[in-house]
Amino acid sequence: MIGAIFSLETIYVLTGMVLVVFAFLTLRDRTNPHRHTSALFWLILGCIFGLGGVLPNWLTGVLVLALVALDGVGRVSRGHLQTDNASQERRAHRLRNRIFAPVLTVPLVTFAFAIGYRTLGLDASRGALLGLGFGGVIAMIVAMKVTQGTARELMHAGNQLNETMGTVNILPQLLAALGVIFTAAGVGDVIAGLIQQILPDNNLFLLILANCLGMTLFTIVMGNSFAAFPVIASGVLVPLIIRPFGVNPAMAAIITLTAGSSGTLMTPMAANFNIVPAALLDLRDKYGVIKFQLPFALAIWSFHVVLLWLLAK
Amino acid sequence: MSPNDLLKLSGIAIVLVGLAFRLRPTLVVVTAALVTGIASGMPLFSETGKTGIVEMLGKGFADNRLMTLFILTLPAIGLAEQYGLQQQSAVWIRRIRAATAGRLSALYQLFRVIVGALGLRLGGHASFVRPLILPMAIGASETGGKTSEQSIEKIKAATAASENYGNFYGQNLAPVQAGILLVYGVMKGLGYTVSLWDLVKYTVPIVALSLILGFIQFALLDRGIRRSAKGTQ
Repeated sequence: MIGAIFSLETIYVLTGMVLVVFAFLTLRDRTNPHRHTSALFWLILGCIFGLGGVLPNWLTGVLVLALVALDGVGRVSRGHLQTDNASQERRAHRLRNRIFAPVLTVPLVTFAFAIGYRTLGLDASRGALLGLGFGGVIAMIVAMKVTQGTARELMHAGNQLNETMGTVNILPQLLAALGVIFTAAGVGDVIAGLIQQILPDNNLFLLILANCLGMTLFTIVMGNSFAAFPVIASGVLVPLIIRPFGVNPAMAAIITLTAGSSGTLMTPMAANFNIVPAALLDLRDKYGVIKFQLPFALAIWSFHVVLLWLLAK
Repeated sequence: MSPNDLLKLSGIAIVLVGLAFRLRPTLVVVTAALVTGIASGMPLFSETGKTGIVEMLGKGFADNRLMTLFILTLPAIGLAEQYGLQQQSAVWIRRIRAATAGRLSALYQLFRVIVGALGLRLGGHASFVRPLILPMAIGASETGGKTSEQSIEKIKAATAASENYGNFYGQNLAPVQAGILLVYGVMKGLGYTVSLWDLVKYTVPIVALSLILGFIQFALLDRGIRRSAKGTQ
């Protein structure tokens, strides 16, 4: 019984319920130009979350296609943002540092669960994920206590934040699914074969160089290191470095991901981070932020190559 | 290499081109998944002995729900924002006492790393850099007299960069942030179950170096500002 409550499936069901509430609030929001289709999007996502463990895979797949179709035709939008800066300022003055209590609840509970799981000899990764989920729920209660806000206000605020972030919220999950299909199709083996034709002698240093270079170049073109990671991981990192050389997978994987961050610092494709801020801060040169970041990005990239090589040897 | 093999790479081409042309990322990724599957001869829906693309898509999506768990934290964060979370954070940022623009940028980078390590999403160019950090940095640089136009442009770029440096590397210090969870999920799909905490552990040297490099670059910025101020006197 306790095992069933403290399972990831419980957290997924809770997330699904929150999404269904968001969908309901979106449906009632007359300031949203596409409120019906937007509500449908969040409702479908809520169903996948809540029922994903029991739905047949083909049905989940069809629902995912429906989500992407709704977003693809541009029918997922957000309502008019209601922010009242003056009242936020006033409330901030009233609550002072107590306003941090709800947001700090999440990391506190996450760590508490992780430590608890480790102490009990259980999987600390699972503990952290459960902690994140239950932390979110406990934080809702703390938030209502601290602010004296209502449950309605709570969900409304959550929905507003969710709509602001929008449909890209599901992108990491879609990319992971893409990775699954790449693996099944043997895409990684094709890339690995291509690289082996260029670098025939299985030199670990050159392979690591190719791995980090590939990750960064893909990120520069796509503007997104998350999209590059599944490709590089299945095509270079796992078949050519981790598997044949027995390299620590956690170490190699996370260093490969952040090698991509150098690409993000150098590319105008990551407009949110590099181009929009230049405009926001009135820089005369719209590439001013990228130019400033360039030496930093090249230096830290080289460090990634060396670190990965030293730790892999 | 057989033509069949090359066809399998069509999905990667779609992702590269689609994202580079700023098409809708969700649509690009799913199109790439469908095309890759079809190119390698998978059926859309399962047939005897062959798993269908749609099934794999559904299973991959459901198995990786953990990447989107943060939705559960949005109501609490949203309510805190309505009650002045940003404003109260600004009170703390204003307390940073830094003598120069470079030191302020370095301290802001450190602040973003700490925020990231706590798994929080506080910060951003629009909410912190533009209204707080940039004016504070320009103010700090002008204590010794008027700062040149050229130096101000440099300060703008530096404050924008300090947000990126702190955000990109610091966020991997929390085991439940999107990047860590993506790596965890993708590696699991490839047959390697790694520990979230090991992923965090190997981020530490990278974060340390990002701070050192940032501090060096911001110190050089200060030196440049001082030189150009002397040059105009």
